[in-house]
Amino acid sequence: MTTRRGFLQRLVGVFAGLTGLSFLGPVVAYLAPKKEKGGRKILLDPNGSPVKADILNKEPSVVGFGINGEPTIVIKYEGELRAFSAVCTHLGCLVKWKPAKAEFFCPCHAGRFDANGVNIAGPPPEPLPRYRVYVTGDNLLGLEEGKA
Amino acid sequence: MKGLILGVWRWVDERTQISRVVRATLTEYMVPANLNFWYTMGSLLIACFVIQIVTGILLLIYYVPETSKAFESVKFITSAVPFGWLIRRLHAMTANLFVLVLFLHMLSTLYMGSYKKPREIQWMTGVILFGLVLTEALSGYLLPWSQLSYWATTVATNAIGSIPKIGDMLVVWVRGTPKVSQFTLGRFFAMHVSLIPFTILMFIAIHLLFMRLTGISAPPGTDKSKVAKVPFFPHMVSEDLTSLFIFLAALTLLVFFFPQFAFPPDALEPANPLQTPAHIKPEWYFLANYQALKLVPNEFLGILLQLVVGVILFFLPFLDRSPERRPLKRPVFTTLVTLGLLAYIALAVWGHYS
Repeated sequence: MTTRRGFLQRLVGVFAGLTGLSFLGPVVAYLAPKKEKGGRKILLDPNGSPVKADILNKEPSVVGFGINGEPTIVIKYEGELRAFSAVCTHLGCLVKWKPAKAEFFCPCHAGRFDANGVNIAGPPPEPLPRYRVYVTGDNLLGLEEGKA
Repeated sequence: MKGLILGVWRWVDERTQISRVVRATLTEYMVPANLNFWYTMGSLLIACFVIQIVTGILLLIYYVPETSKAFESVKFITSAVPFGWLIRRLHAMTANLFVLVLFLHMLSTLYMGSYKKPREIQWMTGVILFGLVLTEALSGYLLPWSQLSYWATTVATNAIGSIPKIGDMLVVWVRGTPKVSQFTLGRFFAMHVSLIPFTILMFIAIHLLFMRLTGISAPPGTDKSKVAKVPFFPHMVSEDLTSLFIFLAALTLLVFFFPQFAFPPDALEPANPLQTPAHIKPEWYFLANYQALKLVPNEFLGILLQLVVGVILFFLPFLDRSPERRPLKRPVFTTLVTLGLLAYIALAVWGHYS
């Protein structure tokens, strides 16, 4: 049989627990991750300005912010435009395009990917996600989810 | 006048018992007379913590935790605020020495078997403090918002993503957004200047409390009950001060003559989220972990192995229960620790030159 003292101790415990829980919800909501603004379908430079497509006539590759703010690399390879997430699938550094070797190279842990974004050496466990890329009417680099 | 001061002191002392506390903790607190240099590491660590708190508060006066202003505010501290460069260098260099002394403190405890009964809780709080100090160092790394800050944080936080099922979600929770951003800086700033320092302070208090309850261990091979005892003050305090001034000399030398040790070129460039620097490397104390991650083909396995080492260290007093503390009488353990240490150094050197 529960004593009066035992009952009161449990009651205090329950109320202390409920008080703690009532704080927990707002704290979790306060700390919840924020979603990045999505819906951008063209490549943007760090200042948020669209990247002109003709830059790829001078440079072998260009890196900018793509769909959902994802750092995206666009290359011109054998006359064809190709776009990939620039984020290495190992630990998130940005890959660089090495045109002489036709490879993407990650400077952090020496991961390598071929011109199709397939991981060929080093620690990266997966290929680079690929996007469909095209030149828009106003000479910008348009991007769409899914393979080219 | 002297009588008045003495009268006030007696009034305060009668109510606060300060002199009794001082006697109990310093002049009447007896410690083994044969304590050596390695027993001063704890005091050095407290000195490091105090330096970090004082310099950290001074840096906070001018630092702005906002991505477009953080780098400029740090530059302002370094180049425009009188002695700002000194405060920043002291903070960055002491962070490195803090980790180094912590390594030495733990190594001496391992070799001397001081983690054994009845000091298990001291050892376990020590391992927690080690993790907290490394987290504190890592969270402080992001604050200057340099190239090094940004990419070191990107790599370190991405490592959590290798945990199956929940890894990606955890990364976003740690960062506050999918990529390292203002939300990450806000979180790391709050952790670095308040959450972790207060937690460290709490664990230091527990660590010291248990040190007082169990007493300082005598060096291995000596019977504590038969060793002569000396008062903590002045004997041990003078030993501590000797080590402290050697430490301060080393710190001064590094701050004035080798600042580049704490500030590699990538630390002097503002963060660019669209360009990973060519030779990005973590701080020396994470180099072995970095190289291990490169060598182990499976990322999760690489992190799991490092976690297992941490868990083994944490529960060490329960895995090694033999009362023997002399290193040469424990050849297997001593060999394992030495090999582990050599492997750690080799991986770090390899990571540095790779």
